[in-house]
Amino acid sequence: MTRRLIRGATLALATGGAVAALPLHAETTTATDPRGLMAAQTCAGCHGTKGYIEDSAYVPLAGMPRERFITAMESFADGSRPSTLMGPLARAFTDEEIAAMADYFEAQPKERARAIDPASDQTTGQALDPEEN
Amino acid sequence: MNRRDFLKILGAGTAATSSLAAPLARAERAPRVVIVGGGVGGATTAKYLKLYAPHVNVTIIEPKREYQRPYGSSEVITGQIELEDIVISYDDLKTRHGIEFVHDTVEAIDFEAKQVRTAGGQRLGYDRLVVSPGVSFDFEAIDGLTAELAETRLPHAWDAGDQLLVLKEQLESLPENPTVVIGPPPNPYRCPPGPYERAGLIAQWLLDRGDTQARVVILDPKNGFTTDYTMLHAWNDLYDFNIPEPARSKYSDEEWAQLTVHDNPGPIEWVMGDMGGRILSVDAETMTVEAEAGTFQADLINIIPPLKAGRIAIDQDLADDSGWCPVDQRTFESTRHADVHVIGDACIAGAMPKSGYAANSQAKVLAIQLKALLAGNDPVEPVFQNTCYALAGNTEVGMFVADVFRMDGDTIARVDEQRYLPFDATEAEYRLAALYQHNWMKAFTEDCFS
Ligand SMILES: Cc1cc2nc3c(=O)[nH]c(=O)nc-3n(C[C@H](O)[C@H](O)[C@H](O)COP(=O)(O)OP(=O)(O)OC[C@H]3O[C@@H](n4cnc5c(N)ncnc54)[C@H](O)[C@@H]3O)c2cc1C
Repeated sequence: MTRRLIRGATLALATGGAVAALPLHAETTTATDPRGLMAAQTCAGCHGTKGYIEDSAYVPLAGMPRERFITAMESFADGSRPSTLMGPLARAFTDEEIAAMADYFEAQPKERARAIDPASDQTTGQALDPEEN
Repeated sequence: MNRRDFLKILGAGTAATSSLAAPLARAERAPRVVIVGGGVGGATTAKYLKLYAPHVNVTIIEPKREYQRPYGSSEVITGQIELEDIVISYDDLKTRHGIEFVHDTVEAIDFEAKQVRTAGGQRLGYDRLVVSPGVSFDFEAIDGLTAELAETRLPHAWDAGDQLLVLKEQLESLPENPTVVIGPPPNPYRCPPGPYERAGLIAQWLLDRGDTQARVVILDPKNGFTTDYTMLHAWNDLYDFNIPEPARSKYSDEEWAQLTVHDNPGPIEWVMGDMGGRILSVDAETMTVEAEAGTFQADLINIIPPLKAGRIAIDQDLADDSGWCPVDQRTFESTRHADVHVIGDACIAGAMPKSGYAANSQAKVLAIQLKALLAGNDPVEPVFQNTCYALAGNTEVGMFVADVFRMDGDTIARVDEQRYLPFDATEAEYRLAALYQHNWMKAFTEDCFS
């Protein structure tokens, strides 16, 4: 790039403003929470199916400790962690969804997802069953 | 008669004949889901349905042996990538996920018998049918445009394929300092930032070639587009682009004051709808475009005609007068025909755009809903996302739109507030967005097809 795109020196990511981070209630969700699957699968278009991804600028989410996931989403949302688009996205999910997503990703193996054994629903894990709970 | 009554009648009609057979049949055979179209929507539905409900029998009917992704395909024209880079194999879906493929074209759907018929004469029965046929083009809407000319003189190159190569060759054989006309379609259409990204890529390509006096004229029926706020700003900076006065309302007074008015504007001109940008006719012989604002003589013409749902959806009565398919936006079940779900570009999905990310997000929700419905359970409350990256032209300057969607009554609505890079984004942020754009092509393709 030859030209500077910068007009102001203001730090861009502060613009989101502080969104009050409500306490997250870990007790209210489990890895089988259908809200976790529903919200988490929307991440996969960049972060890989069930959060598994290799050789990418995107951070793998599979197997990420839940506290790390929650802290990341909270700090994207309040702008304390700089991001391009994770700020707006993190702000659009509820605390319960974020906790449920955290549980979901923590439970995912750090390897590629596949329906190995079509004879058994168990292979994909109860955690994936939207009818559970 | 509303849909519920219709279903009741339908149910009553079939109950007598199938009441004995149904429980037996259910116990004996796996549920069958047939998918029309192995593009983004169809492939993602198949893969996720197999992940979430491996017992379901999933068949994709798709004429092409290999998919060519439309997303990110403009870079084929300007040579950042080759045509082979957008070719995607179906092998992973077949072998890793156990999805059946029939390489054929669906010609008819028998909604009563719950059967599809292919051009090759095969009949396939289904319990639930998924239709994700992408788009078709309304050539008749613009005088002088035809499907034949799109293959030769006037390629739209909006559905991957060889038209990309035709356009690439036309670009490469342009005289010095040419005039290029780009005609974005009216709303709604697939990939809202796409025509403008293409204009930027072509402008950059011409500048790189040393054409300092080239013109890239965008003749637009619209007054705005997704990412316009970022794209116009980036062009103002990169290409000495003057943002037309009618676009002023997109910016605050303070922001507008920071934009530059260039005495010697660069290649890109945006003739907005309010400025007469709507194209009325085109003449491939004389290479002229007639717009409301006047006549434009061009060396290269890239008009993207108005779009409609894929042909099969229109022919089989799944589309309404708008040319798109109305669905129950929670389950994507057609409001015109029961047990048939339409997703992706072809469907009407509230505030969701016609994009690959949207088709992929809808497909995953559909996989969850199909699993529930096939088991006789209620559908689940959906959440959707759309993230579309775009380049300014310079491939190191990127931008995006990022949205989350939820149901608002019966309609899918956007729930986020900020969705673009902010006005005062740093150079590093534009660069990062471009880096993510390039990584997204692989990551996204894997989520859909591997
Ligand atoms: C230049 C360009 C850039 C883009 N960039 C992006 C981007 O950066 N991000 C993004 O999210 N999206 C992007 N898109 C949009 C994206 O490609 C589409 O929104 C997406 O492909 C839609 O998926 P779909 O399943 O609805 O249709 P498609 O992917 O088009 O798939 C439809 C499939 O159905 C098959 N089919 C049609 N009729 C029949 C029939 N009768 N029988 C059997 N099969 C049939 C077709 O052969 C085709 O394979 C871009 C598009 C273009 C043109």
